[in-house]
Amino acid sequence: MALTGVEIFKLLPKTNCKKCGFPTCLAFAMQLAARKVSLDACPDVSDAAKATLGEASAPPVRPITLGTGTKAVKLGEETVLFRHEKKFVNPCVFAIGIKDTYDDVTVDKKIDECLTSEIERVGQKLKVDAIAIINDSGDKAKFEALAKKVASKAGDVPAIICTGNTDAAAVALAQFKDKKALLYGATMANVTEMAGIAKGNGAALGVAASNLDELQDLTEKAKGAGIEDIVMDSGAKKAKDILEHNTLLRRAAIKKGNKSVGFPTINFMMRDDNLLETLMVGLGIAKYSSIVVLSSAEKWKNLVTFTLRQNIYTDPQVPMQVAQNIYEIGAPAPNSPLIVTTNFSLTYFIVAGEVENSKVPTWLAVMDCEGLSVLTAWAAGKFTAGKIAAFIKESGVEDKISNKELIIPGYVAILSGALEEKLEGWKITVGPREANAIPTYLKSKTA
Amino acid sequence: MAFTPPKETYTGKVYPVTIGSGDKAVTFGGENVLPFHSFEGSTPNRPVIAYEIMDVPPTDWPDKVKEPYAAVSDDPVKWAKFCEQDLKAKAIALRLYGTHPDSGNKSADDAVKVVKDVLAAISVPLIIIGSNHAEKDTDVLVKVSEAAKGNTCVIGKAQEANYKTIAASAMANGHMLIAMSELDINLSKQLNIMITQLGFTKEKIIIDPMCSALGYGLEYTYTVMERIRLTALTLNDATMQQPMLGDVGMYVWKIKEVTASEDILPEWGALTERGVAWEAQTAASLLLSGAELLIMRHPEAVRAVDAFIDELV
Amino acid sequence: MLIIGEKLSIIAKRVREAMNKRDKGPIQEIAKAQFEAGAGMIDANIGPAEGIEDLMEWMVTTIQEVVPAPICLDTTNYDALEKGLKVHNNEWGKPLINSTSNDPERFPILELAAKYNCDVIGLTVGKGGLPADAEERSAIAAEIMARAMEYGLPVENIYLDPLVLQIATTQDQAIKVIHTIKMFQELNDPPMKTVVGLSNISNGCPKPIRPILNNHFLALLMYEGLTAAIADAHEIITTAKTVDAIMNKTLYAHSYLEM
Repeated sequence: MALTGVEIFKLLPKTNCKKCGFPTCLAFAMQLAARKVSLDACPDVSDAAKATLGEASAPPVRPITLGTGTKAVKLGEETVLFRHEKKFVNPCVFAIGIKDTYDDVTVDKKIDECLTSEIERVGQKLKVDAIAIINDSGDKAKFEALAKKVASKAGDVPAIICTGNTDAAAVALAQFKDKKALLYGATMANVTEMAGIAKGNGAALGVAASNLDELQDLTEKAKGAGIEDIVMDSGAKKAKDILEHNTLLRRAAIKKGNKSVGFPTINFMMRDDNLLETLMVGLGIAKYSSIVVLSSAEKWKNLVTFTLRQNIYTDPQVPMQVAQNIYEIGAPAPNSPLIVTTNFSLTYFIVAGEVENSKVPTWLAVMDCEGLSVLTAWAAGKFTAGKIAAFIKESGVEDKISNKELIIPGYVAILSGALEEKLEGWKITVGPREANAIPTYLKSKTA
Repeated sequence: MAFTPPKETYTGKVYPVTIGSGDKAVTFGGENVLPFHSFEGSTPNRPVIAYEIMDVPPTDWPDKVKEPYAAVSDDPVKWAKFCEQDLKAKAIALRLYGTHPDSGNKSADDAVKVVKDVLAAISVPLIIIGSNHAEKDTDVLVKVSEAAKGNTCVIGKAQEANYKTIAASAMANGHMLIAMSELDINLSKQLNIMITQLGFTKEKIIIDPMCSALGYGLEYTYTVMERIRLTALTLNDATMQQPMLGDVGMYVWKIKEVTASEDILPEWGALTERGVAWEAQTAASLLLSGAELLIMRHPEAVRAVDAFIDELV
Repeated sequence: MLIIGEKLSIIAKRVREAMNKRDKGPIQEIAKAQFEAGAGMIDANIGPAEGIEDLMEWMVTTIQEVVPAPICLDTTNYDALEKGLKVHNNEWGKPLINSTSNDPERFPILELAAKYNCDVIGLTVGKGGLPADAEERSAIAAEIMARAMEYGLPVENIYLDPLVLQIATTQDQAIKVIHTIKMFQELNDPPMKTVVGLSNISNGCPKPIRPILNNHFLALLMYEGLTAAIADAHEIITTAKTVDAIMNKTLYAHSYLEM
């Protein structure tokens, strides 16, 4: 069972030496309890305390890092089954699958799809994270050649070596020695040997079972062979089975403390029908896949899957924010109305939606209030007359409009006087309190 | 060592809802487990996808989703027949968009005529949805509800502002009722309580927690749906045990991602696939969080979601 | 348990108008009524007070003219706070600042508390986002406590506030706040003081049920050892006195409610 911050604090040196980067041992203990830091940061903790804390603070799903440097990705560490309970921790890793039976042109295209996949959305950089090199031919030489090619063209991208053939595994994995690759394909027949190859190259081991019972035996065997970083494939292929296995595995790890299956999962989502494959990636994102392997990464597909991953992995405690900006709804003219609101995404979506419904082209000034709604932001001193005035002046909206009138949310009518003082030459108008009154309001203004 | 599967048994269940009549009637809901968890309980009915049609030509729809209906969308009857016969629709959702004061302001009598003509032309169940103008819907939905008596339709959407009259007429004419609240589980429960306090049968309500498109608040809808379903199953809360609706098409086919061409935003890739995938992914995600009834627009997106359901059941 | 009377808030129309006009009448009337109903301190919430930094000074003197109790100075405005602290009459107790938090904008408030040796509420939220549970709130509390020490303010001067959220929108947080009150006390020996903005639990709820929610929530919080509550004294005094008697914190007599 996890220890509380106070219980952890009792085991720490209580010297407040600050070497861990926190001002007090108590503050550090609280961060440890929240699993936001590692005990290694404390240089003076006793071995006895270390043993107690290590046991207690091990997360139910083991954290694993694939790759090194800036492109490294983290897996595991999940603590809940539903995102409203607490944030899902490490976003599902997207790996593009490249088979050694593809021709050179196709291989180059796939590597390129991975390398050029990065886009930015709502302030986050999103990309295809890894390359899965698949020994489809069963041939060692072909596999080695493909691994060499990937290593030379995309050596800094985390690699997943997929083969059940130990000879092929050894030569391909050698291309990614000490780069924290994942060697996938350990079965009951070859797990000991595969574990040896993985360890020799500093790689994690992916086990491929045909059912959940076998999976549990396999992970235990891999652990027995000295492997700590394991990624699990239960053998589920169809959506129904992937949903069942992933759910049962996460429940077993989190609710039952089953350490044999407390590892990240990998699912192969390739489908002939690319749209169906896209939805399968969505299943993986929503239902507990740590890694999904896909057959292609076209830009339209990336945009869809990146966006879903970002949505599902958003922290439900942190209000989602939209960027501070002057948004154009419809095609506003210089004399169109100008509305100001805060950047809480739900506020933005609802206000922007109602403005759209009004069919009145409008300037929507969205101000950064750390994602708080209008009234909360005002009370917290983030949506005050001074700050709104500064934002309007800096936004450059004055150059776009001819009519210096600012419509403020009805809930902060109290600000209108102070705003008129701070925004010289502006007329401040109080808009509706509720967004659903916006269409009627805007239409009456422009009638 | 055998793996011990930690299965859950829930005390609650979801009411099954049957709409339409004869051999074309469809039933959704009825499960006593989380979506598609057939490994630990009973999931007797497949989710249903309804094709959306309108009482007026879809001038506001993006070109990409207008195309499949170019030959039929000038007439709701032709449009409905095309969905049933060519697209093999299991249900049709008629949105009375033209009754909105800002979109033509068609009268309730106009709406009644369209509803009667469409009902006469199809044999699959019909879902009838107003223009989402609280006041106008009260008038329109009461009249079309009477006109559709005996067809076991779904009437919507009843909201806090107008539920009384709409619920009363749905009850009097034997229809199911969509109860919509705005992304808030507590308000959703409250609306269901208020509707049942009028004497409306709770098993005839369909919950619409309000849809959002992928990238535009989808996680809010997803989570509200998950929480409603968990409340129904784990707390055995009878006020939250209705099936849920995802009104997907309307929310998806207006955002930038389904309209901006590749020339403007090359990093977003081909618009042809992008729009369809956006609708399909929004719908598929809502199925995973608990929706049993979806309203969709693009045939390709429907096809993909159907294939996805095939793999899940 | 200490009741911090909450009726003087700029959100209330009558209070706002009195503040704008500097009309002492309504302010003093409300403050007196709160004090007589059992408030041991009066909360003066003047909002962000941009450009009206003198308002707090006026509020403090206005209230203390008629009520022999300390003031809880409730604003994010540093200058307004300082002006209020300067004129506060400490003979009836230390003033309390509402509040510092883990938001860097609020750090200087600790400096102010140290300078005037007064008490301060430490609201356990950071920048962006709400704390998920008791653990996260305690982690923030530990940081606020450490920062207070750096500024030379004893942790005994801090009232930790777990941030009460609305039951109507974040129902799962109510029980987490109750757990937090227990956990906060364990962060120090002697136990840390705790405070809540009680009525936030029922914010957005229908008027008739608000007092019911507030009072029941208060009873549970008091059981876990709550030190103080910002609340309407009229509304909660019966619960406060009764729970104190049940928990053996006051000596029972049949007329305990009249005392």
